[in-house]
Amino acid sequence: MTDAPKHPESLSRRDMIAATAAALVTPLLQGGAVSLQPVAGVPGKFLTAAEYALLDELTELIIPADDHSPGARAAAVAAYIDGRLAESLEPDWQAKWRSGLQAVDGLSRELNAKPFLEATPDQRVAVLTRMAAGEADPKTAPERFFGELKGWTARGYYTSKIGIHLDQEYKGNVYQRGEFAGYDAK
Amino acid sequence: MTLVKVAPPIEQDVDLTQTYDAVIVGSGAAGGMAAHVLTSRGMKVLMLEAGKKLDINQELRSMQWPYDHPRRGDAPPGSHHLSFNEYTIRKPPYAKGAAFKHVYSYVGGWGGSDYVKNILVDEKDHPYTGSNYAWVRARCLGGKTNIWGRLALRLSDYDFKAKTHDGYGEDWPIAYADLEPYYDKVDLYLGISGVKENLPHLPDSQFQRPSKLNWGEVKLRESLKKAGQVLTPYRAGVTTDGLKHNKYRSKCYGRGACDRRPGGCDIHAVFDSPTGLIYPAMDTGHLTVRPNSTAHEVLVDKNTGRARGVAFLDSVTRKSYEAKGKVVILAASTLESARLLLLSRSPQHPNGLGNSSGHVGHNFCEHVMGPGVTGLIKELVGKPHTLDDGRPGGFYIPRFRNLKDRQPGFIRGYGYEGNSGHSMFPAHVMDTPGFGGQFKRSVRDHSGAFISMGAFGEVLPRYESYVDLDPETKDAWGIPVLRFHYHFSDNERKMAEDMVATGREMLEAAGIEVVGTDDKVLTEGWSIHELGTARMGNDPKTSVLNQFQQSHDVRNLFVVDGSSHVSASCQNPTWTIMALAWRSCDHLADEFRKGNV
Repeated sequence: MTDAPKHPESLSRRDMIAATAAALVTPLLQGGAVSLQPVAGVPGKFLTAAEYALLDELTELIIPADDHSPGARAAAVAAYIDGRLAESLEPDWQAKWRSGLQAVDGLSRELNAKPFLEATPDQRVAVLTRMAAGEADPKTAPERFFGELKGWTARGYYTSKIGIHLDQEYKGNVYQRGEFAGYDAK
Repeated sequence: MTLVKVAPPIEQDVDLTQTYDAVIVGSGAAGGMAAHVLTSRGMKVLMLEAGKKLDINQELRSMQWPYDHPRRGDAPPGSHHLSFNEYTIRKPPYAKGAAFKHVYSYVGGWGGSDYVKNILVDEKDHPYTGSNYAWVRARCLGGKTNIWGRLALRLSDYDFKAKTHDGYGEDWPIAYADLEPYYDKVDLYLGISGVKENLPHLPDSQFQRPSKLNWGEVKLRESLKKAGQVLTPYRAGVTTDGLKHNKYRSKCYGRGACDRRPGGCDIHAVFDSPTGLIYPAMDTGHLTVRPNSTAHEVLVDKNTGRARGVAFLDSVTRKSYEAKGKVVILAASTLESARLLLLSRSPQHPNGLGNSSGHVGHNFCEHVMGPGVTGLIKELVGKPHTLDDGRPGGFYIPRFRNLKDRQPGFIRGYGYEGNSGHSMFPAHVMDTPGFGGQFKRSVRDHSGAFISMGAFGEVLPRYESYVDLDPETKDAWGIPVLRFHYHFSDNERKMAEDMVATGREMLEAAGIEVVGTDDKVLTEGWSIHELGTARMGNDPKTSVLNQFQQSHDVRNLFVVDGSSHVSASCQNPTWTIMALAWRSCDHLADEFRKGNV
């Protein structure tokens, strides 16, 4: 493969993060649109305050903030899922989420002898680890809920401003003028 | 930047008292082309379209970010799209008894269902029965061209003379040389992007600027080249350099929206029938378009047996009307045109119009798809993300089977469509196990590092693959619906096995690790390339149309859509549909002038 082109690496990762982050996250945070604190005591449009806080924490555990980009909490993933649940016309789907969140608390009581949000960070991870253990072939109620939870968390996060621009550093959906990106076939 | 923003022509009053030179049923690729050619030859044309005329730019909103849409591109609650499981476990009509307000075909399940909810038909209003079939329909001005996949390929004599090559089926009544000048006309009038490869089995077009390949695609291309095989940039029915003669279409700016969504382009760099063909035809002053016109019968003169017009219902008011024409041209799609012929029974034509051969609805064929492979390009893992998807498509690997060789398991061939590189949504996220920081980093590091390709293979036409009218079930307008009798055969199944095995070999030979294979053959119909239900031929006993898509039985009746195709080839049909329609309508205009039609 000596004649394949070299991957362009002229623009450093740091340059790109700086450029995109400055453009996007600053107004987001300054505008107060996004809170980086866990939600507490506030009911969602569909979920109760307790359910909503639990979902918010679960999404952040699945896609946490790291030194590269903010996580699911900053991207308001719980609000997105709650909004979809609230307007859904499918009671079965709504019930699946309600019982799924209950199953998470149930598993936490079983493993940690307390509800999920009262458990320590390590204990919370242990609960999710157990739920994720059956990812390829889910059997228990919490295992089955994990796929649903992760799927919607991913969907909410990677379609958000933070997910697309800061985490994935997506370059497309722009008008290209002059030189087009890529390599000629010849 | 000069973006084209010319409003469509003003709607005209439709005069149904006059007799038009031609009445066209359907406004997609075939109907649009018929309107273009006939009006440019001075004929007065009325076009009937069953669906609405949409404010298409408002529907497509190509550049809208997911987060600027309330449901990130999804259709409103109450909408449901059919899944592979529903298509296979259940039987049509698939929407029967559904609790949902609207049910759409599987295309509604692609990212961005809100952008196609008014383009696709609601399956509840448009049932069909019989064998499993994923029938995708778009009823609106322009039909499926509003969201088509854009791969614009020519057929060759390996297709037109396939029987001569391998003994199966029938040859077409034309050769490549007959159609080549018309392919050229289509290329130049509508614009096509691609790279010349000098392949006898996939003739080159008159290309505008090609799309570029990304890193992984070049790697695969170079490897295939060493094995004497070809990977070429997607041959897209897209104007990349612009078209001076068309004020309704902009050139392509590589926004990539057409490949991210179920299709569509709100600056119309992608060909669609309204901006490419119909609006310019309206500007000649010779074309009248009537949307909301559900045709249900081609009317026949009792004395002569000739077509005299089309009976239709207003799709909204359901009032009955007749449109009178000296010539009737069906371009309603392969299956809808066959349905119309079968619905048009009269004492002179008891089996349906133009069906003395008994072949209307038969020899139904298409492309088999589903099998494919995904590879991981290790060199790209963890690398900075580049702009890879700003183009109308990825790549195409043309047919290589049964050209010089003879495969033991199957006849005919297939090609692969594929792409690589970074895209807006990291599709590998659900295949990335676990959660937390490591999961998040892995998703990020692997974005853009995959290459995938899926095959489209020729399905053999067989007389026993057919549609007829269901004796009981009717659509929302009270019109009898189609009943399917259509299944893949061993040839398709054997070919599908080869698609997976060969795809794997291709990636491995390029040093790309195969991380996923799909050997599942998707439901019949999935390719949206249905063809053959009113085939052309020289023998009126075994074919419906002559080489000019003119009915053997009724001289002033033409069927210019995919139903006329004699075999499916493995190359996507839209460009051939338009080249054939151009050729036939040129001929029709000549004969019309001489008084011979």
